[in-house]
Amino acid sequence: MSAASIPVLQTRRLVLRGPEPQDYPNFKATFASYRSRFMGGPLNPYESWMLYAAEIGHWTIRGFGMWMIHDRHTDETCGMAGGWFPAQWPEREIAWIIWPEKAGHGYALEATHAVRGYFYETQGWDGAVSYLDPKNLDSIRLAERLGAVKDHEAATVDGHDVVYRHPSPAVLRSSQIADGIAMEIGHYADPSFKPKGVALD
Amino acid sequence: MTGFPVLETERLILRLPREDDFEAEAKFFASDASRFVGGPKRPDETWRALASLIGHWHIRGYGFWALEEKGTGTYLGRVGLWYPHGWPEPEISWTLMTHATGKGYATEAALAARAHAYDVLGWSTAISLIDPANTASEALARRLGAAFETTYEHPAFGTMYIWRHPGPDTLVNGGMEAYA
Repeated sequence: MSAASIPVLQTRRLVLRGPEPQDYPNFKATFASYRSRFMGGPLNPYESWMLYAAEIGHWTIRGFGMWMIHDRHTDETCGMAGGWFPAQWPEREIAWIIWPEKAGHGYALEATHAVRGYFYETQGWDGAVSYLDPKNLDSIRLAERLGAVKDHEAATVDGHDVVYRHPSPAVLRSSQIADGIAMEIGHYADPSFKPKGVALD
Repeated sequence: MTGFPVLETERLILRLPREDDFEAEAKFFASDASRFVGGPKRPDETWRALASLIGHWHIRGYGFWALEEKGTGTYLGRVGLWYPHGWPEPEISWTLMTHATGKGYATEAALAARAHAYDVLGWSTAISLIDPANTASEALARRLGAAFETTYEHPAFGTMYIWRHPGPDTLVNGGMEAYA
């Protein structure tokens, strides 16, 4: 799959497109920052560029990968979400990262819910996991809001991560998880909505 | 960019890297033979590097070609045009698998890559970054007509030598390509 043929996903507030060269500066800024500490960062400029190139190459090799998340109206980028399955990953992962200055609007929830739906309905995935740093409470909380449950039995990437297992397509269809997510996104999209406490994603 | 050029030389096909190349690359990068080109690496690091090779094509419009032996399709290594962030200039680079060295494949492919850089991409000059201890690579740079220029402190790889290739103007009439 070439970068040009990566499907475009639309959600209520976001549009997800394949990573493009011009989106690199925001990626670099995030991976140079403390924000990336749970994703192997911070990285120097060379490492960061090589990782961005790998994000694109992953699409070509696997036929899926990480989308760049854009604001539907301004086209500004907010982060990335998608599938990640490099060599030696035990299972296909659903992953996300939101630029620090774009946190607190529920973008990760909205984007990740959309990519999971795409993998389940269009690419025929029968499930997925997310490998999280046990100290990354924001991401653990997001995994839980997505209906994922900690799987104590599943193989980890390197023993330093915890595995959250996403609900299967059947469970997602027959439960109220998706309704809950839609309601939460609705709150975020409502201009009068103010999240209580510290925003998580 | 509109697609990925496939080049052909007398004995080689130069094509976009793909996942089939992973096994050979992982074996090479697990060995000490990779010490001059960023190795040794774990298999997961090699996989990500392979994905980066492909991504480089999408970002820059050029990159490393995988070398296949004509007839057999055997994977021999990579030669290409490389310019990740943090590189001093775009370079012509080569990495041969251990079983493919000593046959002139890198020279053959590097000449084709350099011709592509000059004739198709319009580069006006090119360098190769070489580890100071990598005498085999240095000999290849000499065969390509390149000359040592200066040292470069790479943030990840330490001290490297910059070798400068002859420019396109000096190669047009009677340049090495004419006899390749």
